[in-house]
Amino acid sequence: MIGLNAAGPMEQFEIVPLVPLSLGTIDISLTNSALWMIIAVAVSAAFFLAAIRRRALVPGPLQSTAEVAYEFVADMVRGAIGQEGMKFFPYVFTLFIFILTANLLGLFPTIPGAPHGLHTFTTTSHIIVTFALAILSISIVIVYGFYKNGLGFLKLFAPSGVPIWLLPLIVLIEFVSFLSRPLSLSIRLFANMLAGHVILKVFATFIVMLFGAGATFGWLSIFPFLGIVAVTLLELLVAFLQAYVFAILTCIYLNDAVHAGHH
Amino acid sequence: MADDAGKQQPPSLDEFSKRLAAARGGDANAKEPRAKDGSGMGRAFRLSSELLAGLIVGVLLGWGLDRLAGTSPWGLLAGIFLGFAAGVLNVARAMKATGNAPPADGRNDD
Repeated sequence: MIGLNAAGPMEQFEIVPLVPLSLGTIDISLTNSALWMIIAVAVSAAFFLAAIRRRALVPGPLQSTAEVAYEFVADMVRGAIGQEGMKFFPYVFTLFIFILTANLLGLFPTIPGAPHGLHTFTTTSHIIVTFALAILSISIVIVYGFYKNGLGFLKLFAPSGVPIWLLPLIVLIEFVSFLSRPLSLSIRLFANMLAGHVILKVFATFIVMLFGAGATFGWLSIFPFLGIVAVTLLELLVAFLQAYVFAILTCIYLNDAVHAGHH
Repeated sequence: MADDAGKQQPPSLDEFSKRLAAARGGDANAKEPRAKDGSGMGRAFRLSSELLAGLIVGVLLGWGLDRLAGTSPWGLLAGIFLGFAAGVLNVARAMKATGNAPPADGRNDD
């Protein structure tokens, strides 16, 4: 029986320290997760540097991809926040490209026989990574909201037109709802990536198990193989969609900070 | 160069961007459905994470309050209800947001 003792579906999410480092008692080792984050940053930076190296009037394929990405995010920011939201464009663009690159890098198959630390690793399938990104977004919302509106930002928690006797309850609910934003942002991205990659691995295990089952049933392994092709395509969509959702929700939350008085 | 803007010259950049803007303005309606697409699973993930997040935050707040103030189990009970309400509120907002374009007050580009 091949396959049964092969890697389980969760092994791909294991964190492996590559370069042990420590700061006092804090472990700051370079792990495979950190390595793949660095790779994501390097790949996206290299892509955009290459894309804008020749600023042609009629763009080549690389340049037009970069321009489409720019237009896409700029439209998103303008649509959700309005023109004054464009000061957040660098942040939203960076966020979108980083998540998209990290998601897409995770879809690359591992080179067979590579040491475990170098297996392709989806950093966005770890909730601590997505949670850190979400906390960053919400921190910007809170800091900018108070900076721009002062205490008027707190009006966010008190929607207009609520009877006064209901207000304490509504404020509490709105407060919990606000606190749940970073959590729902991070859960969504992490759960999507985790589920997709587990499904991929389970299908892959089916192929190996069926193939090992001998001549009578071996041919059946074509079905999970077709399945894995379909799931990979779906995952490409999900990788893009989740980066988009994360970015657009950041925009919508930033809109609250920019237009806090309009509630 | 191309000061005289002869007929043989390619159209000037200004004119081109005007035509581009006109063309863009024309298909502004065609772009709307983009916000709506996305698989059903994506929607399900979005809505369930909204509900779950509200509940988790409510429970954590209530539980934390209990730990700090020793009011167990009332903080947790209140937290569960508040969290559930917040989760439902989140889901309602998310449904509203996925159904159509971003809120109208965000559109004012003056």
